[in-house]
Amino acid sequence: MKLVAFAFSGAVLVCTGCTGLKPVQPWEKGNLAKPAMTFETDPLEARFMEHIYSSKESVSGGSGVGGGGCGCN
Amino acid sequence: MSIPVNEPECRTAFVAMGSDCEVCLAAASRHAIDEAAIAAIKEVIRIEEKYSRYRNDSVVAAINRNAGLDAVAIDTETAYLLNYMGTLFQASSGLFDATSGILRHAWNFKDCVIPTEEQLQRLLPLIGWQHVDLNVGTVKLRLDGMELDFGGVGKEYAADRAANILKERGITSGFVNLGGDISVVGPRPDGTPWIFGIRHPRNPNETIASVAATSGALATSGDYERFFDLGGMRYCHILDPRTGHPVTAWRSISIIAPLAVAAGSYATIAMLKQGDALTWLEESDVAYIAMDQAGCVYSRP
Amino acid sequence: MPRILGSAILSAAMALPGLIPSAHADSAPESGIISLRYLSYRDKQPGLDRITVSAPSLYILFPVGREWAFSGSRVMDSVSGASSRYHSSISGASRMHDTRQANDFNATRYFERATLSIGAANSTEHDYKSEAVNVTGTVSSEDNNTTWTLGFGNTNDSINPVNNIVVNEKKHTRDYLLGLSQVLTPNDIVQASMTYANGHGYFNDPYKMVDNRPRDRSQSAILAKWNHYLEGDSVLQSSCRYYWDNYGIRGDTLALNWVKPLSNGVTVSPSVRYHTQSAANFYYDPVYDPLLGAPFPLGFLSNPTGFYSPDQRLSAFGAITAGFKISKSMAGGWEADMRADYYQQKSGWRWFAKGSPGLEKLTAIILQLGLSKKF
Repeated sequence: MKLVAFAFSGAVLVCTGCTGLKPVQPWEKGNLAKPAMTFETDPLEARFMEHIYSSKESVSGGSGVGGGGCGCN
Repeated sequence: MSIPVNEPECRTAFVAMGSDCEVCLAAASRHAIDEAAIAAIKEVIRIEEKYSRYRNDSVVAAINRNAGLDAVAIDTETAYLLNYMGTLFQASSGLFDATSGILRHAWNFKDCVIPTEEQLQRLLPLIGWQHVDLNVGTVKLRLDGMELDFGGVGKEYAADRAANILKERGITSGFVNLGGDISVVGPRPDGTPWIFGIRHPRNPNETIASVAATSGALATSGDYERFFDLGGMRYCHILDPRTGHPVTAWRSISIIAPLAVAAGSYATIAMLKQGDALTWLEESDVAYIAMDQAGCVYSRP
Repeated sequence: MPRILGSAILSAAMALPGLIPSAHADSAPESGIISLRYLSYRDKQPGLDRITVSAPSLYILFPVGREWAFSGSRVMDSVSGASSRYHSSISGASRMHDTRQANDFNATRYFERATLSIGAANSTEHDYKSEAVNVTGTVSSEDNNTTWTLGFGNTNDSINPVNNIVVNEKKHTRDYLLGLSQVLTPNDIVQASMTYANGHGYFNDPYKMVDNRPRDRSQSAILAKWNHYLEGDSVLQSSCRYYWDNYGIRGDTLALNWVKPLSNGVTVSPSVRYHTQSAANFYYDPVYDPLLGAPFPLGFLSNPTGFYSPDQRLSAFGAITAGFKISKSMAGGWEADMRADYYQQKSGWRWFAKGSPGLEKLTAIILQLGLSKKF
């Protein structure tokens, strides 16, 4: 799974400069404009779930910085 | 068709896209009103000329001339509109098809003649959005003889574009009415809504409902725009692309939506959906006023 | 033929050029939002109801013009229950009750193709205080298909446990974020981000017996997300994360969420998540010193100042979450939602390796209710 994460990130990096993929045009972005297609989610919901997982799994990170800690054990 | 009930002083009437049109707006001076109205009307004329199938120099004429031959270069605006019509094709399960205009070669509403089944069968194979090759910067009609038609969205798109030009000029009160398809700029100068009456499909002097609006749009699709009656049947210009025959379930369907182009698309597709129209509109979460062939009116606020 | 809902027509019409007054490529949200959310969390281990959390929260987003947006939120946690003193031992559980109040504030400035936001957050419990500041910037390409994100955060914590095992301990953490999102096709967008956090100070759990952890912790994570639009107007959101730190923990997390709009403004989204991790290298299994007995690890006498922790969260395990959310948007900008998640952690669910032995499974039920209004 480690490999998957790295390969995935690598693919994202390569695709910024790659010529194989046609750049998506503004008029093709109807589907991309849907709220579910953006990476912004309900801020309270996202924070609750992150908070719960980081306090039960001692693994965190990846999605933001400086959210403030807690002694929740 | 919808008719503004309050007759405003700010009205500038003109004829475009084969319909009676008007721009109605309030501004500080007569001069400002005229200037804004002219800019809005120019935009309507621009779209009419660009997408008219009757003009040899239009984008549509160029695409249709090259049907079965070559891909034609298109500009960004045309690409947007074609992409939108592709969405309509999908959202209507193929009922809204921008290539179905070719059926006008069989239907002659002036002479009141029903085409033979053979005539229709010759045309039906040339209908099909799946034969439209839309690529970045180009479009191609794959079959020789195919025809593309922007008639299904052009008028409503022009109404929204003209209304937006008024908004961007700082106009806050008014509306654009292109043959009954209305895009509202803002409420009346005193902040109260405009009242639009919805025409009775069988009696032009009567309304079946009225709609109050301070923003958004209203569009109607009806069986009374181009038609003939024969043997007690109404034959209207809204044709099912699968059979080539006119729809019969509804006399008219009016839609209230944030944009005229969306309202017009919902109205046309609902007419084509026939018996499933109201279920589809409810599922799509759209406000409508519809009259069936018995004269019963259905609505959803 | 791909089928899409009729409601897609309006959003497609909105995308046509020149129909609505133009805005910057990056501009503040068009409407503000006020949202209330209630969380109820309950976990248990066989024979013991552990922690119950109830947390009402409030969030406000307030755009000012096209260039500024301000947001703030407040969460009030009320936590009660029993926390095990070592491993998952029931007999060692200590009863506790605590409340936490957390606030944050964020200001974002929108530019032509960039955003800059600064934020501050604090969290207060009677034995733990945390204060954080952060700054995040984004830059997008001219065609808006590529967005880079850079972030920096600084957090200062102070710890004063009620048992006075330590007094006025500190923890200082700096974290960094580098992210890239890329539109791949009209139906695919991906994002990759990497975070690195470096902390110094007190990392022990003051209420656990025999808990002594290194005073430096560096944590890294790579998170990749992929949103894919499916025929029928639904969206599949997937993500995977790889995590590693200097405690020796390696973690993999996979999540899938399917967002499916139904008619009449109702949207359902079922979700699953799988997490697996290795143990910290100073975590010790529940095998105790024959002389001292529980909770002292084997060899404790020969090295009483070494690093040890019996914290179940530092052990090797796997965890699965199954969730379901339903939301309904209504007239006037109102939206209501309900979400339920069932979470289970088991050492036997570790992926391709053995989990830590001798631990009880942990089960949690998470319920959320939300109500929001756009203005």
